Amino acid sequence: MSTTVNPRQLARYPLIPVIVAMAIGFELSTGSFMGSQNLLGIATDSATLAIVAVPSALLVISGYLDLSVGSTYALGAVAAGWLASEHGGGLLTCVLLSLLAGLAVGAVNGFLCCVVGLSPFIVTLGTLTAVRGLAQQFAPLPLTSFGDSFAWLGGAKVAGLPSPVVIALLVVLVAGAILALTPVGRHIYAIGVSREAAYLSGVRVRTVPFTLFLATGACAALAGAIKASVLGAVQSGTAGSGFELAVLTAVLVGGVALTGGSGTLVGVVLGVAFLGILQNGLTLVGVPTFWQQVAQGLALVVAAGLAYLAPRLEALAAVRPQAARRTTSEPTPATT
Amino acid sequence: MNAVVKKSVDRRTFLAWTGGIGAAVLASACSAPSSTKASGDKVAKSSKDVDTVAWDYPFTFLPVYAGVAKFAKERAKEKGVSLEQTNDNGKPDVQASNLDTLIAKKVPAIVSFPMVFEALETQAAKALSAGIIWVTYGGTLENQSASITFSFEEGGRKLGEDAAAWAQENLGGKGKVAFLVDDTIQLGIERTKGMIDAFTAAAPDMEVVGREQAIDPDTALTKTKAILAKHPDVNVVLGITDGAAFGGYKALVESGRSETDAKTYVGGQDGDLGSLELIKKGTFYRASAALQLRDIGNAVIDVPLAVADGKSDAEASTDVPITLVKQGDALLDEIIAQYG
Repeated sequence: MSTTVNPRQLARYPLIPVIVAMAIGFELSTGSFMGSQNLLGIATDSATLAIVAVPSALLVISGYLDLSVGSTYALGAVAAGWLASEHGGGLLTCVLLSLLAGLAVGAVNGFLCCVVGLSPFIVTLGTLTAVRGLAQQFAPLPLTSFGDSFAWLGGAKVAGLPSPVVIALLVVLVAGAILALTPVGRHIYAIGVSREAAYLSGVRVRTVPFTLFLATGACAALAGAIKASVLGAVQSGTAGSGFELAVLTAVLVGGVALTGGSGTLVGVVLGVAFLGILQNGLTLVGVPTFWQQVAQGLALVVAAGLAYLAPRLEALAAVRPQAARRTTSEPTPATT
Repeated sequence: MNAVVKKSVDRRTFLAWTGGIGAAVLASACSAPSSTKASGDKVAKSSKDVDTVAWDYPFTFLPVYAGVAKFAKERAKEKGVSLEQTNDNGKPDVQASNLDTLIAKKVPAIVSFPMVFEALETQAAKALSAGIIWVTYGGTLENQSASITFSFEEGGRKLGEDAAAWAQENLGGKGKVAFLVDDTIQLGIERTKGMIDAFTAAAPDMEVVGREQAIDPDTALTKTKAILAKHPDVNVVLGITDGAAFGGYKALVESGRSETDAKTYVGGQDGDLGSLELIKKGTFYRASAALQLRDIGNAVIDVPLAVADGKSDAEASTDVPITLVKQGDALLDEIIAQYG
């Protein structure tokens, strides 16, 4: 088995060396970054981001965008938390209500963007505000005392892994399978590259993104319910506040083009890991608050620069071996 | 030629318009009060003149807002006035704009919680000049009819002192402390200062292992987990809000700490329901510097009405104490009951 690193893979995913360098740096400066407890903590904290970033990435690849995920997250948390605390709802009913709330938001976004044809930026910015207000109106006071059944969602261990991490892995696997193994995956890319060309090729240019809006809404609400379960409390005003920016950052840093048509799930997962590691590492090192903000901003700019350079580096990495092959084959006489 | 004439006409029109607008701006600037101190002579002469109180609270996303709003609404109904509320989204510029709208609308009374106190002197002066009662919430301004105060620094100080006394008694004054703070808005900065200064002064041998920005449970959970990765033996976690302290508490429990661990102290500020329930249960969430929601809610209505009835700033103003509640305190049950 070869252990050499493929330069084309590294060029395609420039975040890999960045993440490795960050991990080494944080470990050397703190001595506790690589501890299993800390790594598991990063994975658990990043799980909810991954659950939402993955369907959001598919939506962006198809040329659309959902900025309302932060508020949908809050609505999902409130719906599940309300049922658990006020009516003693069990795990399944709480998750179901949360998913229904998310699907409803996704359906509104999907209808307005895909069927009516309004701008996804404007529509989802509107629902971001409206859904937050709805969540706050529904539960102005904090919800607590959820009971053991609902606590399982965020606190259980499955095969030694925290349940949020397992759910995130499932979301990644399902989305990966859809993208790689089904015609829908190719349709998502096709719509993102050219909606007209996709339509003329017989692709359902409304149904596919509409379904992705539903999936994004459902996943955002599920992520909210998971976090409510982890915390054992929901504050409708602060839950998921700014989450939409974290999701969009993970998607874009992961190499998905905002213009649609390109991006990979591996890149998105790396984007999520990058943000989680950066947040954790800066706190571990004890960087003061405002310098953390500066460092996060700079790291994002560097990551965005790498994402910009990635296709060029990949093209270069693909051209060089061919050129090298041509050079080495020149002295050999033609066989024809 | 025509194009040249057209261009010069356009330029003349442009100059005329900009000149006009400039003159109007200058005139309005000249007519502004020369001093920021307004007289407030035209204030309503009786509480019967006040049929509406506008309450401007910028942090509507905080749980404490809903609690105070509930009691303010009840009191307004009781007194026969209507309560108007703004939505500032936690932004000082939106707050100023909303206040300008209220002043233009000539509501009889405004109770405002300035995000940046100095920045609202102009609005307060404008309101007083327009005959509107201005009550400053959470502090005082130079231009005001009265104020509803509660010292944020004192709340932080009470929590810091209690935690330090606990650390001296239970840890011999030696251990590790992490602070979950807010360095972004005035009330947060005051609470942070009170909390850290009081704690470090009374427990100077405690090692400070973290000072992280966190006001909500989610952020606090993530930050405390990271602190615990490096310092798994943290003894004390103090939060700028109960939301933050709640996140810190969850991180400690997730790391395997028993909920009743005798060597751990978590404390917060505000008096949120979830935190108060943990205190009542006897967990290591031991204290909260709690606001008295009912008293504050009542004051939002009572203070402007008192001004309307002719009371002076000193007579109408009220200071609502922030009380540190702990397990066994009678006030603990009372505040929990206030949440309904």
